[in-house]
Amino acid sequence: MLRFLRFAALFGGLILSASALAVDIDAASYGYPLTNPFEATIATTPPDLRPTLPLDEDINQKDRSLTLRPEREFELPDNFWAVKKLTYRIATQDKPAPLIFLIAGTGARYDSSLNEYLKKLYYQAGYHVVQLSSPTSFDFMSAASRFATPGVSKEDAEDMYRVMQAVRAQNPKLPVTDYYLTGYSLGALDAAFVAHLDETRRSFNFKKVLLLNPPVNLYTSITNLDKLVQTEVKGINSSTTFYELVLNKLTRYFQQKGYIDLNDALLYDFQQSKQHLTNEQMAMLIGTSFRFSAADIAFTSDLINRRGLITPPKFPITEGTSLTPFLRRALQCDFDCYITEQVIPMWRARTDGGSLLQLVDQVSLYALKDYLHDSPKIAVMHNADDVILGPGDLGFLRKTFGDRLTVYPLGGHCGNLNYRVNSDAMLEFFRG
Amino acid sequence: MAKYLLLIAALLCAGVANADNSKANAPVVVDSDGFKEPLSKLKFNPGLDQREFERSTLSALSVYDPLEEWNRRVYHFNYRFDQWVFLPVVDGYRYVTPSFLRTGVSNFFNNLGDVPNLVNSLLQLKGKRSMETSARLLLNTTIGIAGLWDPATAMGLPRQNEDFGQTLGFYGVPGGAYLVLPILGPSNLRDTSGLAVDFTVEDAINYLNVAEVSSNHPEVWILRGIDKRNQTNFRYGQLNSPFEYDKVRFVYTEARKLQIAE
Repeated sequence: MLRFLRFAALFGGLILSASALAVDIDAASYGYPLTNPFEATIATTPPDLRPTLPLDEDINQKDRSLTLRPEREFELPDNFWAVKKLTYRIATQDKPAPLIFLIAGTGARYDSSLNEYLKKLYYQAGYHVVQLSSPTSFDFMSAASRFATPGVSKEDAEDMYRVMQAVRAQNPKLPVTDYYLTGYSLGALDAAFVAHLDETRRSFNFKKVLLLNPPVNLYTSITNLDKLVQTEVKGINSSTTFYELVLNKLTRYFQQKGYIDLNDALLYDFQQSKQHLTNEQMAMLIGTSFRFSAADIAFTSDLINRRGLITPPKFPITEGTSLTPFLRRALQCDFDCYITEQVIPMWRARTDGGSLLQLVDQVSLYALKDYLHDSPKIAVMHNADDVILGPGDLGFLRKTFGDRLTVYPLGGHCGNLNYRVNSDAMLEFFRG
Repeated sequence: MAKYLLLIAALLCAGVANADNSKANAPVVVDSDGFKEPLSKLKFNPGLDQREFERSTLSALSVYDPLEEWNRRVYHFNYRFDQWVFLPVVDGYRYVTPSFLRTGVSNFFNNLGDVPNLVNSLLQLKGKRSMETSARLLLNTTIGIAGLWDPATAMGLPRQNEDFGQTLGFYGVPGGAYLVLPILGPSNLRDTSGLAVDFTVEDAINYLNVAEVSSNHPEVWILRGIDKRNQTNFRYGQLNSPFEYDKVRFVYTEARKLQIAE
């Protein structure tokens, strides 16, 4: 009898696990042309494989702003005047429709190119769309964040939730049928925490939530990104810096082409040319862009909280003040430095201590494991060659999400989001 | 003979393969989760302590900018002007005009702009480009009805900008101090003088009689300004950084270098 039960359990387990397998897209049938993850991350999809999208002028949209932290009007220096209010972009349909919130990735504003792309995609499919800045974005930190020290996902989600509520309050006449939520990269992690918060606050009752290329372990992701600027790049020497190297290549590329033409296909075309960048150079380029985000975050957080790590607390700043010396100091600080010098001390002070490991556990997807496992409304799309993942991360996603996880074989970090196969799947998820 | 050539070719190829110090050609190892570990494809510096990002960025930050305080104030003025006046006007313009009319206006002013483009291509002795720009002017002014259409681009003759600042740069004149011009935005001493020269030349040539008409009708200038803003994609705040001024300064300086070299 006992043996029979054991067998039954085993069988049940097998059947259950079989039914909850992630959807793995087969590389051969996927048809995405960029097999190099770094190239995909930088150039994204070649233009003729992207979905057809409406023009900006055919979209009924406007930028609106919210005053969420009126005290910042007085606390922030004069040259922050443009970010004392939080701006968002709203695109509306002229009939009752579901509304989808889009959360941008690390350091990105509401109008980042990926957010714009997602807006067009969902707007075309009949949604009202609200584009929001990332909690790590300069404007969000200044205008909407209570502690202006992004990185503690739960606190970021609280800030984000308030923003969403304020957006709804500012558009009371908009006929919304249902609320949906999506985000890419760090924005996907934020979306997961916002969805979790919404289970208790119940302001929106999100019907479906889609996470696009989220970091699983936030610390792995930032370590990977910090590491990208440590690649050994050929061609750098005492007289040529990395930027000069890339700009020289770009100059030669245009000279060979005969004229300067900036368009969507430029990066793709450039990589097909003789001047193309190597893996290490591309990694360095991606790493550089993230280091600038890290510098912005470190500077802004330090300034708003008057920590004195980068800007002396009483240093007078007017519109004419040169910020270059502070940029010089801030750019020495990578994500790891920001976490160690600013996030951990604040988090310890607020929550009574804890180690880095505990922080990592709290701010990563691990913290929501049970919730994500049991919420059929949340799905994930990720890539097998995403640079922000580490070993074991996909395994965690497979165990947690089961068949609500789709793994694409290619695409790097968010490079395939504008591939037609992906855009169809993204629309299909919300439609179904 | 052929055998030797083959051998040499093989040796050369091997040399290239050896010189490639990256692991780009290493096979992708997929772990049991299906993860391809992209970072394993990269060759890292062993100590993970290189400061190339810092070195590059610090050297990129040294742009000659003696008027920085003034420039930053003008930058903020432009930012406000853009948000409170310029962009709302452009939005209104987009609202009241159908898109084909806007394209016509842009084409018309771009056709006028081809005059200084031609002059400066000639001054830089760029034969091919001068021919192409002349062909553009001829085609667009005749078939394109005074430039309202742009058949030249459709025929594979894209617009190629050349201004007097570029001509000066072509002959080795350095950029000089960085300058933020009210409303017009980032520039430097060389390019500002270039701008003045281009305006004078345009006035002297008086192509299609536009320069003469617009001296009596300032609204032509206003329309031209609105059209220019409509064609310019840059938005203040778009770089989304407290250091936007520094970044724009770097990008402007490098973009001009690139335009001059090309």
